[in-house]
Amino acid sequence: MASRDIVQYRSPGRRLLSILTVVFLAAYLVWTILPLFIMFVSSFKDLLAAFQLPEVGDWLSIGVFFDFKPTAKHYVDLFVDNNFGTYLVNSIVAAGGSAVVSVVLGSMAAYALSRIEFRGKKDLFFWIISTRMAPVVAVMVPLYAIFRGVGLVGTLPGLILAYTTFNLPFAIWMLKGFFDNVPYAIEEAAMCDGCTRFQAFRAILPLVAPGVGAFLVLCVLFAWNDFLFASIIGSGGAKTLPPATRELVQPQNIQWGKIMAAGVVTTIPMMFLGLLIRRYLVAGLTMGAVRE
Amino acid sequence: MASVTIANVWKYYGKTSAVRDLNLNCNDGEFLCVLGPSGCGKSSTLRMLAGLEHISAGDILFGERRINDIPPKDRDIAMVFENYALYPHKTVYGNIANSLRLRGMSKADIQQRVQKAARMLEIDHLLDRRPGELSGGQKQRTAIGRAIVREPRLFLFDEPIAHLDAKLRAHMRVELKLMQRDLRTTMIYVTHDQLEALSMADRVAVMHEGVLQQFGPPQEVYHRPANRWVAGFVGEPPMNFLDCDLAEEGGDLCVRHPNFTTPLLPEQAQIMQAKGGGRGVTLGIRPDEIALAAEPGLHAFSGQVMITEPLGGDLLVDVILEGSKVLVKAKPNYRGGRGEVCHLTFDRERWHLFDREDGQAYF
Ligand SMILES: Nc1ncnc2c1ncn2[C@@H]1O[C@H](COP(=O)(O)OP(=O)(O)OP(=O)(O)O)[C@@H](O)[C@H]1O
Ligand SMILES: [Mg+2]
Repeated sequence: MASRDIVQYRSPGRRLLSILTVVFLAAYLVWTILPLFIMFVSSFKDLLAAFQLPEVGDWLSIGVFFDFKPTAKHYVDLFVDNNFGTYLVNSIVAAGGSAVVSVVLGSMAAYALSRIEFRGKKDLFFWIISTRMAPVVAVMVPLYAIFRGVGLVGTLPGLILAYTTFNLPFAIWMLKGFFDNVPYAIEEAAMCDGCTRFQAFRAILPLVAPGVGAFLVLCVLFAWNDFLFASIIGSGGAKTLPPATRELVQPQNIQWGKIMAAGVVTTIPMMFLGLLIRRYLVAGLTMGAVRE
Repeated sequence: MASVTIANVWKYYGKTSAVRDLNLNCNDGEFLCVLGPSGCGKSSTLRMLAGLEHISAGDILFGERRINDIPPKDRDIAMVFENYALYPHKTVYGNIANSLRLRGMSKADIQQRVQKAARMLEIDHLLDRRPGELSGGQKQRTAIGRAIVREPRLFLFDEPIAHLDAKLRAHMRVELKLMQRDLRTTMIYVTHDQLEALSMADRVAVMHEGVLQQFGPPQEVYHRPANRWVAGFVGEPPMNFLDCDLAEEGGDLCVRHPNFTTPLLPEQAQIMQAKGGGRGVTLGIRPDEIALAAEPGLHAFSGQVMITEPLGGDLLVDVILEGSKVLVKAKPNYRGGRGEVCHLTFDRERWHLFDREDGQAYF
């Protein structure tokens, strides 16, 4: 059995390449992390301190940026005055709910599409992904009309349904590829072991865990960061974090401190999700199952 | 435990037929080998027995019960797959224990049974590994372990030891045969290796291109092949075939070849007279049923040594006849060299005549 180590041989070219790689990665890190860092630091400053910045190019007085008394005032305000607790819960329910519904339905549909031959399968499969081809804005108005007609506007189930509409085709497409890579023999062995078809499906689910994990993240991210659906379908009873943050921008008074704090509140759960899901994202899980 | 009846079974994949009108029966507790070359429909047959493949036509019965429409889990079979089909995310222990867990067996019982099976297969030191960390032979033994921990009505083994090295294969042949004799579980065993089939089976079913060629005990398949194809497939080194005529000579019915004219034994002559002799025949004789000598003798004829292949205990000699060639298994002390003349005698008790057109055996 081959090990997963990559064999490398030294050469001057490779040395140069590795130096360049490190330089590039360092630059990339600054580029991506710095805004988050500023957001994080600023959320603990009061309004005056937040705007105490050194002149452009004056790197020596960078200390001004760090010279402040930390305050949790913005966070307290967010949760006490602005109801962010509710919005956070709404966001979690909407994103998590649609992800779970999409994964459950999507994996079953993908399994069926991967394993069973039936007439019109190709057409059905194409139709499923074609629902994602129109831009979201194009279907927003009719969707709104429909949702209003059945009383789903401003409710969490409505929001979950809306996200699922967009996530499900994606789930089916992505997971079908993963199921296609699982050898039939494994579930056949499971059925000989005494599993029903459904139990056999569950038995091979661990083998598509990387796909499910990756999809869960994408699905949650889509819903979590969504602004359009949230502000139109969710407006009223199901306000989530992005539209709530948007409301902190008022014509006479842009509440920077709170906005920064809201940014942090919105970002942190996704970071934890990333850490949590990471261990499922190991590819090559079917290695060694069957003889190729 | 159960007997198995396969009655007029066909298997189509789209338009191609993989199994054609197959009739087999396997008695309770019997070890049945399905033998044939790659692509002859062995796996298809086995998969229909397991319920993994739809039966295109015909019936399969376990005992008296028609099982065509019964799902695999209710057939009470255990199958070993050609390509192992282990659960990659489970350890060897988990793989073997899975079917027992599904049956709701107690932890202690499972532990005990898995240990027993693992010891027998000599994988008890590997129980904590995952399939990705096993060698091919270890995987295959894990797959066998998964089947034998259960006590099913029927074992279905699809070339279970084909990928092991020769030594381990010989060991496993004995182990599997012993295991089957101990458990007395009906076994249907698919293989393309005639040695496995002949050494393990109570009865062998030889298949070729989806059609059953012969079905009988190993001795019968070996010594009384039903047709030329079976004769050529079973036996190592393979049987020699020589195109011959039948001719009357001195009152005896003889097999005539440019190199020799040898009379048939009386009972063989009777068979040929009854079955419309005079047509073209093919003579079949195994390499070890030809005697090789330096001096001529009764019914002996001459040929020329082309090459000798010493195989340790045996010596294979390729002998050139007129327009053809035969392979002879000689004593290792035979000293003939390339180009020398040698004298051959057929063991007439053991030779076979086949119809040249349809290949059916006369005897
Ligand atoms: N799913 C399938 N679709 C189409 N044809 C198939 C399928 N499975 C098998 N066949 C064909 O049916 C025939 C018999 O296949 P089968 O797998 O039973 O052969 P086998 O005797 O087990 O061969 P091997 O020793 O190589 O495993 C082959 O010609 C094969 O090409
Ligand atoms: Mg096969």
